[in-house]
Amino acid sequence: MWWRSASFILDRQQHQNRTVAPSPESFLLSSPPPMADSPLNPKSNISAYYQTRAAHHAVVTSDWLAQAQAAVGRHSDDDGSLGDDKGAAPIGGGGGGGEEEGSGKAFSVIDEFNSWRKQPALAEAVAAIRALAAVIRTSEATTMMELEIELKKASDSLKSWDTTSISLTAGCDLFMLYVTRTSALEYEDFNSAKSRLIERAEKFGEISCKARRIIAMLSQDFIFDGCTILVHGFSRVVLEVLKTAAENKKHFRVLCTEGRPDRTGLRFSNELAKLDVPVKLLIDSAVAYTMDEVDVVLFGADGVVESGGIINMMGTFQIALVAHSMNKPVYVAAESYKFARHYPLDQKDMSPARRPIDFGVPIPSKVEVETSARDYTPPQYLTLLFTDLGVLTPSVISDELIQLYL
Amino acid sequence: MNRVGLQYLAGDLSGGNARCIAMLQAFQEAIRDYSTPPEKTLTRDLTSKIGGFVSFLIECRPLSMSMGNAIRFLKSRIARLPLTLSESEAKTTLCSDIDRFINEKIVLADKVILRHAATKIRDGDVLLTYGSSCVVEMILLYAHELGKQFRVVVVDSHPMLEGQKLLRRLVVKGLSCTYTQLNAISYVMHKVTRVFLGASSIFSNGTVYSTVGTASVAMVAHAFRVPVLVCCEAYKFHERVQLDSICFNELGDPDAISKVPGRVDVNYLDNLTDKQKENLELLNLKYDATPSDYISVIVTDYGMIPPTSVPVIVRGYRKEYLLI
Repeated sequence: MWWRSASFILDRQQHQNRTVAPSPESFLLSSPPPMADSPLNPKSNISAYYQTRAAHHAVVTSDWLAQAQAAVGRHSDDDGSLGDDKGAAPIGGGGGGGEEEGSGKAFSVIDEFNSWRKQPALAEAVAAIRALAAVIRTSEATTMMELEIELKKASDSLKSWDTTSISLTAGCDLFMLYVTRTSALEYEDFNSAKSRLIERAEKFGEISCKARRIIAMLSQDFIFDGCTILVHGFSRVVLEVLKTAAENKKHFRVLCTEGRPDRTGLRFSNELAKLDVPVKLLIDSAVAYTMDEVDVVLFGADGVVESGGIINMMGTFQIALVAHSMNKPVYVAAESYKFARHYPLDQKDMSPARRPIDFGVPIPSKVEVETSARDYTPPQYLTLLFTDLGVLTPSVISDELIQLYL
Repeated sequence: MNRVGLQYLAGDLSGGNARCIAMLQAFQEAIRDYSTPPEKTLTRDLTSKIGGFVSFLIECRPLSMSMGNAIRFLKSRIARLPLTLSESEAKTTLCSDIDRFINEKIVLADKVILRHAATKIRDGDVLLTYGSSCVVEMILLYAHELGKQFRVVVVDSHPMLEGQKLLRRLVVKGLSCTYTQLNAISYVMHKVTRVFLGASSIFSNGTVYSTVGTASVAMVAHAFRVPVLVCCEAYKFHERVQLDSICFNELGDPDAISKVPGRVDVNYLDNLTDKQKENLELLNLKYDATPSDYISVIVTDYGMIPPTSVPVIVRGYRKEYLLI
């Protein structure tokens, strides 16, 4: 059972509440991950990205809810989107909360980012993009240079909030490139240039939001009637793909891996059951056993790297290997803002993202646990990538990156 | 020009970058000393003069790919000279273009490559390199300056024994090195964490054209699942596609491989009669082609790219330098 405290949701406080802990905690989880209220997320051994995901999708017990509500009452400067993880919080409240923090100088891009981030449907990178667009809107700079410097600072502080998240870094970089790539900016008067920047920023935010719909439409050709799809991890893009296929009255069934320790499979199968899609849960070890009956393997991605490989939840590489050796196609659904200029040569070549694993029983302190949260799948095990730029083979990713970045 | 040609012939000047820079600097001198004969246009006459020099250099030693690309650049610059320029202006323009080419495409490109490649070296690594590539040498020295702790294995082969020069330069700077011959490669490979190779050129299908023996090193590394990084400036990329090592190569001196230097007892081929020698062909190839499957990443001044992205660079950015 994932142990957490209400401080996950309440970003502002540092206190270490021990809440209802239904199962004995392992020794490894003896200190809760506090969320500091400085822009930096100092927790070195837990990736903030996974904290967010957990906060959005963790199973909510009623006494936990009550405790969260009680904690909210104590802190008046928090945004209103608490406790109700599953529904989308109203944006105005969040945005307003962020901007009320102070006058223009004290506008904190991190607050804005956090308020956007609370919506479970919004990807982290899109939240960052929206936050950066808000930076431009509320900026008090009078020259283009100043504005660019402000943007760069905001982007850097967002990136440093979680250095392990690839899509966040990539999203910020792409936003900066897209927005500042307008030529002849220097020759216009500042206000019209600024409004043009804001326009482009909004457009980029919209494209990123629409990316999932585009990917869902493109991938419909690859889901045929009567197919069996294996999924791993909780990817909102994959969910969108399967939702669209179900809406188009396709007959297919889904095999979900359990996805320990995040229990992504349980949540995903929940969602699919709501769509009346036949779904079967497997334990992670049963993937090779069931691979014979699988037609298509579908993953999302945390990040797509320059080699054409993907970085995704731990277990993806394993499943891709099994699928490849049994000649099953492996498809990845990823938005284009996840493309990053990293090039991992092996599994350990990335900055590690760790997350605590609860085995349910106490582990002796001498025993080490592999706590890495993600792995790298090299491009030779992937068949195709569905992105909002089209359906691409892994070798084209570098082509796209070169065009985007150079 | 004669001096450079003789240096090639003697083998004093080797390595793609060194030969290319020496050739371009010789061209610069030639251009400065040049004067247009009457009733001839600068562009056409100079182009034919350059052609003459190139033939001379080819006589000394066949051109490397890098030199070929540089000559194409120079000829296109000459062709693009506006006709209104006076002779001295044209000459200074050309000389400064050559300087820019050397600076941007080689010197600065090498600096960018250093930065990218050094991020792939971690403490505790065992790096293997083959032969003597100037870029790889720079990378190793730079990483050492940054304070990274690593060991180097230098693999070498007859008859050129270029690795010994690299070894000397590394040991002098304080790197801990191991030296071995190519036949021991599968013995050392299980300890190696990364392989760094240089390239003479990279073709559009990702095939790496480099000193003979490189393909074997890359193949063994691939079999041991060791990542292979090829470091090459973008000006060396070529549109050609080559499927194997034989269809285009350079022959070296056959007698060099019939003897082992320093071992007079290993002279089994000395006493062959002429009739017997007719049946024997000594093949001393200088280059070989490494298939792109064995390469993990190519480090260029455009960043780290997979071997499949070479045509993207050739298509998109080679036009750039033709229009400097």
